[in-house]
Amino acid sequence: MSLTRREFGCGLCGLTALAYAGRLPGQSEPGAAFIAPGYRPATGSDERGIWRQMEREERDLKTSRFVIRDAELNRYVHDIVCRLGKDHCPDLRGYIVRTPYFNASMAPNGMMQVWTGLLLRCNDEAQLSAILGHEMGHYLRQHSIQRFRDVRDKASFSAFLGMGLAVAGAGGAAPLVDLAMVASIYAYSRDQEREADQIGLELMSKAGYSPMAAPEVWGQLIAESKAGTGSRSSDFLFATHPDPEERQGTLRETAAKLDSGTAERAHARYLERLGPIRQRMVGDELALRQYGRSELVFDRLLAQSPDDGLLWYAKGEVCRLRDGPEDAGRARAAYDKAIAAGGAPPETYRSVMMVEMKAGARERAQSAFDTYVKLRPDASDAEILRSLLAQ
Amino acid sequence: MTMDTTSMNLRLTLFLGIVLLAGCVTRFSLVPPERQTVGDVISVQPGMKWNKLNSHNYQGRVEVWTLDGPVLNTLLFFTGVPDGEPLFTQRTMGSGGQEKPPVFKASMNPVEIQELLEATIARYFQTTLAEGRNLKPVPIAEGKGFRFETRMVGRDEVERDGVFVGTIRNKKLYGAWFQGAKLYYYDRYLPEFDRMVASARLVGEAAAK
Repeated sequence: MSLTRREFGCGLCGLTALAYAGRLPGQSEPGAAFIAPGYRPATGSDERGIWRQMEREERDLKTSRFVIRDAELNRYVHDIVCRLGKDHCPDLRGYIVRTPYFNASMAPNGMMQVWTGLLLRCNDEAQLSAILGHEMGHYLRQHSIQRFRDVRDKASFSAFLGMGLAVAGAGGAAPLVDLAMVASIYAYSRDQEREADQIGLELMSKAGYSPMAAPEVWGQLIAESKAGTGSRSSDFLFATHPDPEERQGTLRETAAKLDSGTAERAHARYLERLGPIRQRMVGDELALRQYGRSELVFDRLLAQSPDDGLLWYAKGEVCRLRDGPEDAGRARAAYDKAIAAGGAPPETYRSVMMVEMKAGARERAQSAFDTYVKLRPDASDAEILRSLLAQ
Repeated sequence: MTMDTTSMNLRLTLFLGIVLLAGCVTRFSLVPPERQTVGDVISVQPGMKWNKLNSHNYQGRVEVWTLDGPVLNTLLFFTGVPDGEPLFTQRTMGSGGQEKPPVFKASMNPVEIQELLEATIARYFQTTLAEGRNLKPVPIAEGKGFRFETRMVGRDEVERDGVFVGTIRNKKLYGAWFQGAKLYYYDRYLPEFDRMVASARLVGEAAAK
């Protein structure tokens, strides 16, 4: 079996969903040192070799078509990282990767990947900071190097290579990997996960974010899993870690001790900054056709933002695409709310047209089509939609 | 180990070797530029020599052809996808724990079939960079059909263009999707694909009234 450089290197990237596998967040180790700002491993060391490997990975990632290039959005995420990492800011580089699953990862050389599925699912900036802070905990305590040495010392280097192979998808171009296999390999590092949990809570608290966002994110993952739709990004966690609720409770308990009560959530700013890619993220989630899970996500986001036309459109699309017995009516109701709320894409009217056509309401279908082509005068599907109306 | 056992092992090894070799040899079959019937339902006239893949990773009501190898260009014939079945899935994917693939429904219109192929590509090729566009009504096999273009980037980061043509007859989807590397391998053979589509006829159960 050949192993590509990317596949090997990604064995060194911690995965946040996996990182959240730890059961109980304890205190960070008293007196344990963080990596120093500006740190570089010694020439000739095993760590230096790993850094070189990750630098090559990063060069590939920089040119990947799956990386979101929006400058303002990248600056926004980087600012959050710097707000958490403070003196470490110059050493950290974030990449937003277009992958519709809940995940982030951080390599030992400071390369951080944030998947769009994570951005979609966070309610606000504080929730995102909980994930990023956790990842930075791994970085600051050099967990991946420790893990590499542990595995190597146990004469299981092949297992490490296997780990790299298993998470090859995390390299940016391959979103769907065998996460269950990854989970089984990563299960041994729960102590590190607990430590990263604790560091993440402390970092976000010191940065002025509400640490209560951390147990919230975990609770959202639990709810997605309980939707029972086979979400590969979360179900495997619960298969190998049986006490997610207990862990959520402990996270909440620890966060409550750190919570000042006045800490920032930054909900409106978060939505505004994600604006340029929100429709793409919604489309990527819908393309997975995991109706139950997606509806849960959109319903949760709508509870936070009941006047968000894009989210109502997304809910309508879930219903229309699922095409169950009650779905046409539910889709129509969601589209109505999307149109009333504003901010819905022109395609909302195309979807209304299709739902009305199937219901036999030709006049309403024609009206929706007219609005669609008015809003989207260059619509390349106008001719075929017109032909459908004429049938 | 006895001599008999050694001899038996040798014969078994040779037999397995021959079987494996045969598998390699028959992975592709030459498709000559003569009228062909695909899946007993689609009749087309190729203008050049194609290669039919006898073993591939697509699972479904499909037949797979290529000119330069499946990495560079692929032609998928959809030979009557019935209501409730996916366009195609990955043969190597296990069934346990996998998310259910999106399925074709006989009530779908062309817009919905374009959405279905987009979602199928996203799943099969593990990508978020897949889109259909320029959906148009076209006549196909002496009946109504539709055509749209596809663009995707897979795990290998190669940009691939494609074109899908299809029609629904007797509540089943018949069609063809040609896709290839945007650089050279798609454009070069698009005219050949278009000629084949123009020559297409539905036969057998697909032609039943």
